[in-house]
Amino acid sequence: MTRNFIKLAGASLIALVGSAHISMAATTVTFWHSFNPEKPNGQALEKIIDNFEAANPGVEIKPEFIGNYNDIVAKLQAAIPAHREPDAVIMEVTRYGLFADRGVLTDLTDYVNNDPLKEDLFGFAREVGVFEGKNYIVPFNSSTPVLYYNKGIFERAGFTEEPALKTYDDLLKVSKQITEKLGDDGITGIVAPGQFARWGLVMDNDSDLIDSKTGEILLDSDNTIEAYQWMASLVHEHHVASPDGVTDEKKGGRDAFLSGKVGIMMNSTGNYVRSKKALGDDLGVLPMPCNKVCSVPIGGAGIGILSTAEQDVKDAAYKFISFAASAESNAIWFSGTGYMPINKHTAEQDLAKDALAGKPGIDVAINQLDFARGRPRPPVVTWMRASEYGLWEAMALGQRDVKDVLSEFATKTREEAARLAK
Amino acid sequence: MARKFLPYFYILPLLAFIAVFTYIPIATSINLSFREWDFMSATKPFVGLENYQLLLTSTEFWNSVKITAIFAIISVPLRLALALMAASFLTSEKFAPRMLRGAFFLPSVTSTVSIAVVFSWVFSTDYGVANALLKHIGVGKIPWMQDPQLALLVLILVNTWKQIGYDIVIYIAGLQAIPQELYDAAAVDGGRRFHVFRRVTMPLVMPTTYFLLVISVIEAFQVFTIVNVMTHGGPASATDMLVNMLYRVGFTLFDIGTGSALAVLLFILLIALSLIKSRVIGRKVHYEA
Repeated sequence: MTRNFIKLAGASLIALVGSAHISMAATTVTFWHSFNPEKPNGQALEKIIDNFEAANPGVEIKPEFIGNYNDIVAKLQAAIPAHREPDAVIMEVTRYGLFADRGVLTDLTDYVNNDPLKEDLFGFAREVGVFEGKNYIVPFNSSTPVLYYNKGIFERAGFTEEPALKTYDDLLKVSKQITEKLGDDGITGIVAPGQFARWGLVMDNDSDLIDSKTGEILLDSDNTIEAYQWMASLVHEHHVASPDGVTDEKKGGRDAFLSGKVGIMMNSTGNYVRSKKALGDDLGVLPMPCNKVCSVPIGGAGIGILSTAEQDVKDAAYKFISFAASAESNAIWFSGTGYMPINKHTAEQDLAKDALAGKPGIDVAINQLDFARGRPRPPVVTWMRASEYGLWEAMALGQRDVKDVLSEFATKTREEAARLAK
Repeated sequence: MARKFLPYFYILPLLAFIAVFTYIPIATSINLSFREWDFMSATKPFVGLENYQLLLTSTEFWNSVKITAIFAIISVPLRLALALMAASFLTSEKFAPRMLRGAFFLPSVTSTVSIAVVFSWVFSTDYGVANALLKHIGVGKIPWMQDPQLALLVLILVNTWKQIGYDIVIYIAGLQAIPQELYDAAAVDGGRRFHVFRRVTMPLVMPTTYFLLVISVIEAFQVFTIVNVMTHGGPASATDMLVNMLYRVGFTLFDIGTGSALAVLLFILLIALSLIKSRVIGRKVHYEA
């Protein structure tokens, strides 16, 4: 009896030491991201992680869903002084400049230059990861805004064929007709544009928020003001967009479109699969309007590595980043979410071929790439984007004059840029 | 000698706990309020009173003080009055009052985030339940969350609904402690219900009222979750209360120095308010029947 007990205890000890050895041998990479595991985007990411771990038994990726891009920025800031930051993090393409500037992110230039992946990435995908000549993130989920519409609502509003949706006037005209015909059923014409779409509509009006080449603040330029005036008028003047979409972009905007309460929504192509699931064959996808010029912003996010991570963790994290941007992984991501392919060979994968053949509209964002532009990412952009939400609310609800707001905002942004540059 | 220090040894764990979670953060906050920092920079240059000067000369800060004061002035008396009224009817130990006590208390132990999310659906202009119900009685759409005054009113209502259960329970305890003989004597003297309430109940429940007043004013000045989830301080800064502004300045605009200065000012303001309450009302509170 005693002998058996000693044998059992010995075996347990060996097993314990063995498992401890195995777990010590594995490199763990904590990875903060913004994709809800219960939604298609999160499920596609999980699949990529599973594939990576199967191919790299020595590395464990520990994903943590943090919230949206703003939540990641806020939580990362709090985590840094507490030394509780992750090893790798998803960062939105205009917001990582501040973290790169402050030395929070690792310079990945050498990793990227020595990685054959570099040649496989599209030009736009390579560009979004570069800040002041160095590579700080590798793109994972790239997007442009597209114009989604509900065919069923269009039909009920009396459109027998697809109307022109090329200019601001076209959008307003169609939105008015939908609201007039179906307003009594609680249906409105258009979703009040979210921040990504607002930036796109400013670019369509031949302007920008910050000049991507010179860094000049363009918030108070005539075309930017004109674009904001038009966007705000959809809500408070023409009443074709619900004010709920202004005070709550997600619930009052996107969710209303997904539940068949709105005719048109301009939003990231990353919403494609979710929208298709919600609206089925009623979903139509078109390029963004070209009001004065055709121009769309490139959005989405890339993965960066924290400079505080140990060298072996950095190496393992980059291995994952590179794997996630490979043609195979990118095909899973593209077909499962609707985000744009970033790898030149993604379209050759069966999954991608099937998606392109069987999911009409998923290629609209890709076709827009001819006139897609990367956006500026100086440190002040993070501050500017965080401040813009409240100001947009005041403008869209008609509580403040657009020109006054943007002039004041431009001045403050210039001051903040100067303060950050100190 | 050892005997002399033994009591201090016993309270050491608790002192350490309070120091780590209260005193050290307060001291750190005060220190940071005199510095410029964005959470990421290696240095935290000393800027003297610059952060305080920036706040005290900014319209945003005074707007937040005004809104928080309005919120407290409306919500605290509303909470206390409704709670005392409800508690008066719920002191009995019968089945129905006991059930109702539980029902009133339920929101107090429910997640504030969940409550805020649900109420933002309820008060959504185009897609909300409130307007859908009002439509049936011929009332047009009310922009609950877009009108500056209404948005503040909605926050007051939601906060009252969330907190009132706690106030009721405390008031019930206070009411049950009033000796029955006093009510009997008042009845013999022919006192009417209202007079008995004013002359007997109100003065004797004053210690409870004073306690709840102190607690609810502090809570009103620290309200954050419902603001952050339901309005983010909008529309047009109409609900940008002090703690929401603190979060915005510190965590979304990366100015932790100014955010800390705001926290220190809020701390001073709450101490001042408590002292005023203690001087003005505290002296009128009698703790014996």
